[in-house]
Order: sequence, then C-alpha cells, then structure tokens
Amino acid sequence: MISLKPRSILLISAIFRVGLILFGEWQDTHVEVRYTDVDYLVFSDAASLMASGQSPYKRTTYRYSPLLAFLLIPNSFTSRCWGKFLFSASDLFVGLFIRIILKQRKVPDDLCTYSMLIWLFNPFTFTIGTRGNCEPIVCAMILWIIICLNNGNVVQAAFWYGLIVHFRIYPIIYALPIIIFLDPCFFRSGTKPLLSDWTSDQGKARQINSELTDKCVVCDALKSTFTRSRILFGLISGTVFLLCTGFFFRLYGWEFLHEALLYHLTRTDPRHNFSIYFYHIYLNYERELSVLEKLISFLPQFIVQLVLILCFAKDLVFCFFVQTVAFVAFNKVITAQYFVWFFCLLPLILPWSNMKLKWKGLCCILLWMGAQTHWLLWGYLLEFKGKNVFLQLWMASLLFLAANTFILIVLIRHHNYGPVFRQHTDLKTTKTT
Amino acid sequence: MSTLQYNRLCFHLKLAILWMLFSGAVFCIHVFASTTEVETNSDAGKFIMKSYFENYESLHDSSFEDFMAHQLSSSLCQGIPDNWNVGVRLSVRELSLVGEGSHRHLSSSIRLQIAAASIPKLPAHLCEVIVIQRLPLGVFADPFELQNPHKHKAFRDIAVFGDTNLELPSFQSNRSAVEFHIDAGFNILFMQNNGTEFNLLLPLDARYQPLDESGYSVVEIGEPDMLMRCSVEGKQHKQSCLFMSPPNEKAKSTSATVAWKIPAGMKVPRCPKLEATNFSVINFVIRRQILHICS
Repeated sequence: MISLKPRSILLISAIFRVGLILFGEWQDTHVEVRYTDVDYLVFSDAASLMASGQSPYKRTTYRYSPLLAFLLIPNSFTSRCWGKFLFSASDLFVGLFIRIILKQRKVPDDLCTYSMLIWLFNPFTFTIGTRGNCEPIVCAMILWIIICLNNGNVVQAAFWYGLIVHFRIYPIIYALPIIIFLDPCFFRSGTKPLLSDWTSDQGKARQINSELTDKCVVCDALKSTFTRSRILFGLISGTVFLLCTGFFFRLYGWEFLHEALLYHLTRTDPRHNFSIYFYHIYLNYERELSVLEKLISFLPQFIVQLVLILCFAKDLVFCFFVQTVAFVAFNKVITAQYFVWFFCLLPLILPWSNMKLKWKGLCCILLWMGAQTHWLLWGYLLEFKGKNVFLQLWMASLLFLAANTFILIVLIRHHNYGPVFRQHTDLKTTKTT
Repeated sequence: MSTLQYNRLCFHLKLAILWMLFSGAVFCIHVFASTTEVETNSDAGKFIMKSYFENYESLHDSSFEDFMAHQLSSSLCQGIPDNWNVGVRLSVRELSLVGEGSHRHLSSSIRLQIAAASIPKLPAHLCEVIVIQRLPLGVFADPFELQNPHKHKAFRDIAVFGDTNLELPSFQSNRSAVEFHIDAGFNILFMQNNGTEFNLLLPLDARYQPLDESGYSVVEIGEPDMLMRCSVEGKQHKQSCLFMSPPNEKAKSTSATVAWKIPAGMKVPRCPKLEATNFSVINFVIRRQILHICS
C-alpha cells in the first residue's frame, strides 16, 4: 500500500514536469530532434499573430478556437515556455480533480492515490503537456464538469460544457448521456442529489440501485423528458457555445468557422494514421466519396455511441469513458494525442472494476500496446525506410481496432455498473435491510 | 477529505504552480537571451522568390525563367564596369539525396569562383550568394524545420515560398521553392584560385503520391539556381547588383537531377473481362433470388 500524501504526489509531479520542460528547451536548442510538439509552434505563432492584432488563422494548420491562441499570448512577451507551463498546470489539476471525484464517492485513500499516480506518472500523459499539447486543458475541464454534476451544480456544469464544446468539438458526444444523467428522480429543485458511495461489496450496491433505476426509467418516461435541470443545462451550454462561436465569427469570419469547426466535422486525412479508413480515403482521394461510403464510415460510430449511451448513461463517468474509447477507435482519423481523452477518465473507473492487474489487466495493457507497436512498426517501414507497406499498415489498423474493441468489451464485463446517484429514500431502504 | 485538508491541498498546489511558472520563466528568458534564431520571411523585397510570387500565382519553370531573366536585366548596375559579370562563376559541384524514407536531405555543394582581378573591386562584406532550389510537386520543405537554429546558423536567411501546406497530397498541391542567402564576404576575401565552396543540406519531406500500379512514384529534383548579390554604392544611392553564371557555364556542372522513389498507393489495373464476369455473376445471383422469392 502506498503511503504518499496527495500534496507530496502533486509536488513531485510539478517538479518533474518543470524538469521536463527545461530539458525540452535544452533539447530543442542543442539536439537535432525536437522535444517540443510541432503543434505548440503552431499555437505560439497563432498567439503572436493575435497579439499583433491579426487573425490567428493566418498561421497555416492552426485549427483551434482563438481562445487557445489568446491563452498563449504571454508566449510572445514573457517566455515561449508559458504555454507549456499552462498545459502542465492543467495536467496537475487533472490529478487533483481525479482525487476530488473519487473522494466524492468515498473511495478509499489508497485507491485514490493509485488513481492519481496512474494519471500523473503515466509517461504518455506527462510528455503530452510538457511537449506543448493542449489536451490537458480539455481533460481538466471535462473532469470539472463531472465534479459540478456530482455536486448538483447544473448551471456551472452547463457553462463549462458549452465552453469545452466550443474549444474542442468532440465533447459533443457527451451531450445525450448528460441529459439522461440529469434524471428528475435525482435532480430536484432545492435538493442536492445524493451520490452513491463506493463500497467494497459492489454486488449489493448494484441490486439496490437497479430496482430504483427500473422504477425511475418508468417514472421518467411517464412524466416528462423536459425537466427543469435538463432545459437549464441545454439552454446555458447552448448559449455559451453560440456566444463564443458568434463572437469569434464576428472577429475572424468564415475562416474561423472553416478552420476551427467545419474542418473537424468533415476531416478526412489520406495520410497514414491508426484509423482503418485512411487507406480507403487515400485510394479514393482524387474523387468525391459516395453517400454510401460516407454512411459506411459514419454508421458504426453512430450505432456504437447510441448503444453505449443507452446502456451506461446513469453511470456517467463510465459512460464517458467507453464512449470516448469507442469514438476514438471508430473515428476516421486517429492520432496518438486522442488517447489522452480517455486516459484522464480511466483512473476514475478503475475503483469500480473487478479486473485484477495480474494477469487480465496486464494482458489488456500488453494487447493495446502490442497492437499499437505493431502498427508503428509498419508505419516506420513506410515513413522512414520508404517501403510500400500500405496494405500491411492497413491490416495493422484493423488489428488495432480489434484490440480496442476487445479491451472495451473486457472492461465493460468487469465493471461494477451502478448509477452515480441514489434516491433520498435509499436511507430508509438500507436501514430496514 | 475534510474541508481544511482540501483547502491546504489547493493552497500547496497553487504554490507549486507559481514556483513552477516563476522558475521556468526565469530559466527560459536566460536561455533565449543567448540563442540565435534563423529569421525567415523577413524584410520585404529581400527575397527574389517573394517578388516572383507577387507576380505569379504558382511556380512554373517557364514563368520562373522569364522572371529571372527580367530580374537580371533590371538589376544591371549603372556605372559599374561590365567585366564584373564575367568574373563570377557559380556551379553545382555535387547534388545528392541523403537518407531514407519520406524525410531526406538534399545535399548540394556549390562552388563560387570570381576572377582575381574583380575581387578587389567587390564590396565583399556586402555580398551574398543566393541559392534558389525549385522543388517538384511530390516533395516539400517544412518551414519549421528550417527554423531550427542548430542546423541553419550558417545562413543569413532561409525562406520557403509557394505551396507550404504540409498536409496535401501531391496531386492536390502546387510547387514550392526554398531560397537561401549565404554571406559570401569571408569566402570572397580569402578565396583560393579554384574558388570557394558552400555546402547546403536542405531537409525535404515527401508528399503522398498519385496512385501507381508499380506501388512507387519517382520524383526528380534538379539543380538549384544560383546568383550573387552585392550592395554597391552607386552615383546617387546604394543599389543591389545581381551576378549570375553565363548560360554556357551551367552546362559544365555535374549530374543535373537526383531521383527520389516514393511509395504510392497501388492502382489496380482495370480488367474489363473480370468486370464483365463479376457483373454477369451478380446479375445471375440476383435473378435466381428473385425467381426463388416469386415461386
């Protein structure tokens, strides 16, 4: 059992990240291979343009909200490491929020500590922020939304949700589960919803909650879908999104809409990436894809998302996690930075998983890394050795999808599913049993 | 976790972040005070390719040659003896492609020769050698790689012009060109009889190629265009004079192109017989199904 205190973990993580950032600056100056992500240079250039009163979209390949460039304006007049420090600070906040969310559900200290360590000392995650990738900001905001929803603070959750969807489109997939989650059985005006606690005997908890869930589904269907909290959430998040989008459209016009929003909705990249669709897109890039082809690439994604939402929406964090894994796995373009989207949610679901690290957990990790490494091997032969291995690379993409699907199924089967909230009448039920 | 513990945790976290920001800012400011950066795309009018793209939309060999001929004729220095032009020789001694895969380096060795009699008359410290490497459709130079100070500190300026979109495949992109400016002063002053040499190493990246039955596409990269520019005191004001090797001198240089074989998606050759067979088989199967349903 680990006896490190959370503040010690955060302090060590902070020092480690500072060290990495400084090392990265040294490497960029003295070594041929850069430590800094190319995207960071894009953000910095866009921020410089914005600081001088110009459109950040004059910088080619800048495809983010102007908010990101705004946050990095200090890069131009303080230090160009400012952005990296900002992203690493967000990284630390993710670690803190993981602990807060788990303590809200009364998860034991040792499990909370392990969960924090999984995020803060994951080599993938600490390099992401220190190399200058902005995903930690997104992760921190998503976790803060979960904290707000757990506290019954619908207004604040809606505000941040509208902002995060404007910032990075993909969280739109969480809209429907959040709406379902704002169940009128739990979200009543004037009362804070009651969180169901983590218990070591997960089976008992499931039985009680499943009865209530069945009753509430019927109650919900009979009464009304449009409850106060749902309408409030939809209105506030929609307003925030439209305000931000409208404001930046006013400033930067169609260029902003194309680059920051429409590009991500219609993106097809013929260059090799983990997605199974890349080779088909490349082979047919010179012509417009038919409606059938577009549908074939969209339908699996849509169906999987719908099924996962309908099955797991009441267990919001788990629903977010499985949705994100599936969204990334079935997407038309997959790059390594997308993995961070579900890495930040993984520590939140592990306390409810009855899968042991030895040996099932380890097998899943090795399978995922193995499938990725296999793809990277063919990618290396194509990109760095100039061999025509497109077909083999595409097969490796299929294998990667299969591995992701298998691991997702294993995680679902080992998860102790239970709604996040319980009714106030639970207290009477538990006392009498 | 109690409220007090939570507040203390937040306070310590804020302290850690502030310390992180402060120490990082101090260090980075110190580091960057002592490094130099390669300026790219700086002063207007400095780059020849910038002037080219102000007059033309895309890079074509014929347009470029017309443009260069016009540039040279309009930059004849007034009152400067003509024999200066005769004295300057720029040639490519060696051109090769270094590396493997989609990311390689174009290595070129350029020789500058100036007639001994012309050297004392040149304002050596105000002369620079300009090398323009025109790139074919299938490859591009990454402007951000060229900004790497570790690699390119020997150059006064480097810039990429034309289509710098890194993401497009070759069949949807236009050509680009890289312009190098190299300070020639030191080399001119201490020039040997056989001239002086400059070595260029240009990082290049391959675009995705059009489909090909062989599974590969060959891209050819030719020699760069080279000239020398000196800033000379004219009768009334300073002027820039351009010097280029005479056309007949260019023929003496070594192998003109390098070939780069890049993997491409495989185009399946059309087989009308196979297509007809497939069609008739499908047709047959559909008819049988219809008959089965109707019976």
